[in-house]
Amino acid sequence: MERVIVCIKPIPDPKEWHLLRMDPVTKTLIREGIPSVINPLDKHALEAALEIKDTLGAEVVLLSMAPPFTKPVLREALAMGADRAFLLSDRVFAGSDSLTTARILAAGIRKIGEFDLVFCGNFTLDGSTAQVPSQLAECLSIPNVMHINKMELKKEGGLFLTQQIESGYVYLEAETPILLSFTKKANKPRFISFLEMLEAEKRDISVWNNSDLGLDESSIGLAGAPTKMADLLLCQKKRAGIRIEGSPEEIAQGLAERIYQWGIL
Amino acid sequence: MKESKTCQEIWVFAEQRVGVLHDAGLELLGKARELAKRYNSRVSAILLGKEVEGLTGILMTHGADRVILVDSIHLGNYRLMPYVSVLEKACRQHDPDILLFAASSMGMELAPRLAARLNTGLSAHCIDLQLDEDGKLLQMVPGWGGGVVATIKCPEHRPQMATVMPGIMRKIEGYDRSGEILKLEIGEILDTSGPRVLKVHREEPCGMPLEQAEVVVAGGWGIGSSEGWQLLEELSVVLCGAVGATRPAVDEGWAREDQMIGQSGKIVRPCLYIGVGISGMMHHVVGMDASNHIVTINTDPKAGIFEVSDVIIVGDYKAIIPALIEEIKKKQA
Amino acid sequence: MDFKFSEREELLRKAVREFAESEIPPKMEAMEETGDYPINLLQQMAKMGITGIITPREYNGVGLGYIARMIVLEELSRVSAAVSMGMQVHHMACAAINDFGTEVQKKKYLPRLARGETMGCVAVTDPAGGSDLVGMQTRAERKGDNWIINGRKCFITNTHTSDFWIVIAKTGEGSKGLSAFIVEKNMSGAKVGRKENKFGLRGANTGELVFDNCEVPQEHLIGKEGAGFSVSLKTISETGRTGMAGVALGILNNCLEEAAKFASERVLYGKPISALQAIQFHIAEMYTELEICRLLCYRACWMKDQGMRCDTETALAKYYTCDAALRCAKKAIEVHGSYGIMREYKVQRLLRDAMVTIPAGGTAEVSKLGIARAALAPFTKK
Repeated sequence: MERVIVCIKPIPDPKEWHLLRMDPVTKTLIREGIPSVINPLDKHALEAALEIKDTLGAEVVLLSMAPPFTKPVLREALAMGADRAFLLSDRVFAGSDSLTTARILAAGIRKIGEFDLVFCGNFTLDGSTAQVPSQLAECLSIPNVMHINKMELKKEGGLFLTQQIESGYVYLEAETPILLSFTKKANKPRFISFLEMLEAEKRDISVWNNSDLGLDESSIGLAGAPTKMADLLLCQKKRAGIRIEGSPEEIAQGLAERIYQWGIL
Repeated sequence: MKESKTCQEIWVFAEQRVGVLHDAGLELLGKARELAKRYNSRVSAILLGKEVEGLTGILMTHGADRVILVDSIHLGNYRLMPYVSVLEKACRQHDPDILLFAASSMGMELAPRLAARLNTGLSAHCIDLQLDEDGKLLQMVPGWGGGVVATIKCPEHRPQMATVMPGIMRKIEGYDRSGEILKLEIGEILDTSGPRVLKVHREEPCGMPLEQAEVVVAGGWGIGSSEGWQLLEELSVVLCGAVGATRPAVDEGWAREDQMIGQSGKIVRPCLYIGVGISGMMHHVVGMDASNHIVTINTDPKAGIFEVSDVIIVGDYKAIIPALIEEIKKKQA
Repeated sequence: MDFKFSEREELLRKAVREFAESEIPPKMEAMEETGDYPINLLQQMAKMGITGIITPREYNGVGLGYIARMIVLEELSRVSAAVSMGMQVHHMACAAINDFGTEVQKKKYLPRLARGETMGCVAVTDPAGGSDLVGMQTRAERKGDNWIINGRKCFITNTHTSDFWIVIAKTGEGSKGLSAFIVEKNMSGAKVGRKENKFGLRGANTGELVFDNCEVPQEHLIGKEGAGFSVSLKTISETGRTGMAGVALGILNNCLEEAAKFASERVLYGKPISALQAIQFHIAEMYTELEICRLLCYRACWMKDQGMRCDTETALAKYYTCDAALRCAKKAIEVHGSYGIMREYKVQRLLRDAMVTIPAGGTAEVSKLGIARAALAPFTKK
């Protein structure tokens, strides 16, 4: 086991989402001023990779497609224990949907070189399509498995996997190279150790743009995305909001009456 | 893939495991029928599996004009690579305009890979589908934890693909057209690469399935203990309902994973939803806000869930629920 | 002058904040009830480097400075002032041994502290005097090459969670008559006494130590005989006061956050109360206090990291921040209206915690004596 690549997506901090504003003209969300964090499920993917590093000494390489101001997020992932980071950043990547994002990440991975495993979080909290892992695997022509709850390395090589499905689990065995996307249940991501953080300051974050990757501009970004956004609406919800007050008995009576009126009893 | 101005062929992936059809596939057939009205499109269910021909009848009564059947021992257990290669061949041969999947664990893995293979667009977890004035598919997709809804189009590439949240669309039954079965042979295109299935382990869900209950009693972090959770179970029994939960309640072990309601759990739309000790985070609200009547009980007067409630009760559930159970029993007597 | 935190410091803050927000809240209820320190957090804090943050690398520490330590204490305290308090005193033990101990003592005790195998404890206060340091009555008398300690120490933090304590005892008269010893808990004649029942900082274990003819080997003397006054003074004024200031700073920050959060959600007269000027004035005053205290605290730490003499600045930071935290806790409760006096709401704990920081680690009055001395010095006639 030589190298595990972990895809990291910097997302606007979910705690600050109430500050998001929508540009009414372009219908895009304005992210400026909201700090970025590692997409939470990506931390589980990273933790799985770091456990392989701890036991087998594999190199853990981070890959991100994001604007340059998200470098601190990669620095944080390096501080958790990853060895190197690559940030793919270029104006022509903007407006990518999941497929074009997958193409760009795949080009990045091909440029990094050989690998045994690619790890992703099962989905991101912002876009939450959960489409990139499968599409990235397709672009790399390797198999993939989603919803990984548990991954064990076999002594002879290969892996045992536990996949979460509705009301149950699927147990699989697989060979490398393979792409896996992890759920929250897979592990508990480690907290940053200060010594590791100090070591990580010396590690590289290389920034690549499209001239480094050599992708045809018509196949990436807004131009290359088969899906286009036609509209964006902020959600408004309005309900009656009638209050029932009083002692528990009074409340129970009032509520039971309503339930009866609604035809449920 | 050809560009098509009107939608002539609408396909629905009929997901099945061990010979049992996923309800979401049937829901999608209902929606496909609705979309088919304008141009009198043909609705096909595409069904892969081993010895599953017996399921074609159900698919037809739920709205399929045709079932495209690929029946092979190699398709017994779902595996990603074989399924993608079969679907790829079917799509290239028959050129559907629209292809719908459930946003199930299988759909979330299979649909994106297929979309990439076919170099077409896919939108995820749709909560609605419509046609625009040119007959192109409009896909309504929630994002940012449910705070926004985007309308996505796939103007040029085909098929236009979408995964749809289970529980959102409505099934239809008794569709009467006697449908056609088109059997596809696999031939040599089957890709058998990828992980091997060692075992599939089912956890038996007990009681009334959450998605089918007319009454849902849901609890969250505010319940505080498994003793407190018992009160919810009792209330649900008295109302012939099912018990749901938020993520924190599942993490605490008071409820099972398959009882979780929310964006990463189940979408429910019962006649009555009673939320107890739930703060009302967006990702839970998205799972229940289509309920007909919403009643919420919380000690926190500032609980966000009150924004989406028809009836608001600020108080301690430990006193209110027992009293409510008594009152309901009186009314039922 | 550069008032920005470095990228490293920002990441450090983020790392501690995430740890604190995720791991401490489940322990809070037990801490409030029992007053005991959540010992099972110790291993995690050691793994992160919190326990060894100011200890040099060669003794298993991280070797960072006091600004880094202030960030750690502030972020821990923002979630639990008691957890932060326990760490603050732990660091005092690290500093005392590192600054005054022999190489043998450093190699023996510092790694244990850095690895979180035990908590650190510094026992200065005597029933006969805390502020009156020299008035203490715990004595250490020579017996051959060893020392016999008799007496008690009270209001000491981490007594019951530490395997050894740094004990200051009288070995002579006057300020040159104090000496510092490392006493291990299993030494005969040494034992923990009562556990105190504080109304705030619950979870920071406060207790008594009792010495009854406790025999301590010569090698356990820290520094020279008579160095106890310097050991106490330096440890308290540099590590202790900045530590207390960090604890109070975290409380203060949390007071503002709680008040602002509540004011933004509580609706009266058809609007959140944050729209009312009276509430805005409270918030503005709290914010002002927070900014003042941040400047005082980080400036004092900066001076310490630069190797500058800073006892006035640390005294300022300690007394002012603890006082400000109390004022802001009161304001936060008032912003909450009647909710503020209910136990279910957090703000009442902030008031109790802030109040307890005031006498801990040195009273405000003692701090002010030092500050006055510094202010008067240029004008004092010889």
